[in-house]
Amino acid sequence: MASSRDDFIIAIRSAFLKKSTQQKFSLLTLFLISAFIILLSSLDLKIIRYLKIGINEVVYRSSFVVSIPENFIKNTFFEVSEYTTFFKDYKKNEQELNQLKSNYVSSQIIQSENRELKELINDYVSSSDKILAKIIVDHESPFLKSIIINKGSKDNIKIGTNIYDQSYLVGRVIEVNYKTARVLLLSDLNSNVPVTIAPQNIQAIITGDGNNQGQIKYIKDGFSDEINQESIIYTSGTGAIFKSGIPIGRLSILKDNLASRFNVEFYSDFSQLKYVFADVITKTETQTLNNAELDSNVSGGTPMNAKLKILEDELEIIEQTNLKFIKENESLKSEINKLENEIVDFKNEIFLKKEKIKQYDIDKEELTFLRLNLEYGHKCRKSFFNNKGYSVGSTMYKKCVMSKGRKN
Amino acid sequence: MVNFKTKSSFLKLYSWLPIIFLFISVLNEFDFNYLNLEYFSFNFPYILIFYFTLKDFKNFDYFLVFMAGLVNDTVVGLPLGLSSFSYILICIATSYLRNITIRPHPIKDWFYFLFIISLINSINYSVLMLFFSYNIILIDYLINNFFTFLFYLVFVYLFNQYLRGLND
Repeated sequence: MASSRDDFIIAIRSAFLKKSTQQKFSLLTLFLISAFIILLSSLDLKIIRYLKIGINEVVYRSSFVVSIPENFIKNTFFEVSEYTTFFKDYKKNEQELNQLKSNYVSSQIIQSENRELKELINDYVSSSDKILAKIIVDHESPFLKSIIINKGSKDNIKIGTNIYDQSYLVGRVIEVNYKTARVLLLSDLNSNVPVTIAPQNIQAIITGDGNNQGQIKYIKDGFSDEINQESIIYTSGTGAIFKSGIPIGRLSILKDNLASRFNVEFYSDFSQLKYVFADVITKTETQTLNNAELDSNVSGGTPMNAKLKILEDELEIIEQTNLKFIKENESLKSEINKLENEIVDFKNEIFLKKEKIKQYDIDKEELTFLRLNLEYGHKCRKSFFNNKGYSVGSTMYKKCVMSKGRKN
Repeated sequence: MVNFKTKSSFLKLYSWLPIIFLFISVLNEFDFNYLNLEYFSFNFPYILIFYFTLKDFKNFDYFLVFMAGLVNDTVVGLPLGLSSFSYILICIATSYLRNITIRPHPIKDWFYFLFIISLINSINYSVLMLFFSYNIILIDYLINNFFTFLFYLVFVYLFNQYLRGLND
């Protein structure tokens, strides 16, 4: 028993410490170094970050060079498969292009409106420049979904920069080097995006499923019934991680026996990406604020004074607006009085007209009676020969005349 | 004389092929993932390292294996040092197996390989989940483990051919 334990210890010690003639380091040394590096990476020290950026720059470039043959084969494979459906795709694309052209015009109008509105409510306008970036490494790890682009901090790329394929969201930057950056794709398990589901306008969070799809991770109870197949998903902009209104994909509902699963089919095919657009945002102060700042600078005031001046200006604007409202109010009141008088006049006129109409009706009835009296008066008048008649002037006589004589 | 020199440099390059393949595979992530086969992935570096360290191949330097691990971490986006740690663990395991084995048998090596890659993948999974808060699907790791195990025999055959060519 003791002997076998000794053998085990000797074998382990030999495995760890014994160096062959061609080995420069013992395995124990390398084991400890790698454990130490893991520890340092978890601490996220500044020096390690810079070291990592240096390694990344070299490795990404090398990886790009080494991947050229494989990428060539891969691209050839995809190109050949694309040619088989070339004409069909062309027709479909032509139709889509026409549709998109019309959509583009309305989109431009909406964008300019949006910009104007943002200028009104914000103290800055965010102007974004989309810069084209080439994907230098896109090895799809089975565990992590990310790509490397050839733009880095040199090109104003920052952590969180939104990355697009045409106008569709692809992911965001999670690691920035000097000339390269790593983009976490939406299909990664660690990606969480706040979204709006249209047209129901439901807020949700989507996450990657580790393959090429996404799934709805969080949705408020009760709202899931309202969602239907083919709902469109776009970013809500909540949390200011992603810009709002960027299209992501379409919803597809998978119904299991017990519950429904909401998957997201991304508009963009992440395995086919060659170039992407990085949305570099620069914030510029609006003209109003610039003027205010300019004034404060001219008067040599402090930021507090500048704020007070802005508040005073706001107060003045509010007072002016109030005065305007009061004047408008007075003119409206006088107009209401005038209209009320007109209504009274009209009422009087209507009453007079009604009286006239009534008189006319009476006259008309009287005329009819007189006409009928000439014709049927003898039938209704009481006389020696007509005992059943009525005395002239009585109500019954009038009734008898109007009904053209007595009815037996 | 020139012919002999060319032959010698070719032989030198040939003898460094495993380590060159290791670096190409970590830089290139050579695992057919772009085919988008849903339940398919394997870890070629594990097979390569296990085989050549088990054979105690003279040009298969542990330090270069360690460096290959760092490169792999950078390419894949894993925390720096994790792949190096895994590769060095394989080297330790093979070194131990070499020490305790009197009569090597390919099938025993194969199952020992399964045990080692399962252990390493478990460590990787735990480290990524516990210390770095990565979200990883366990089933993907199991599939990767399974296919790496299956492909081992295929690559062993190819590597044996390579070694035979070197000896000839």
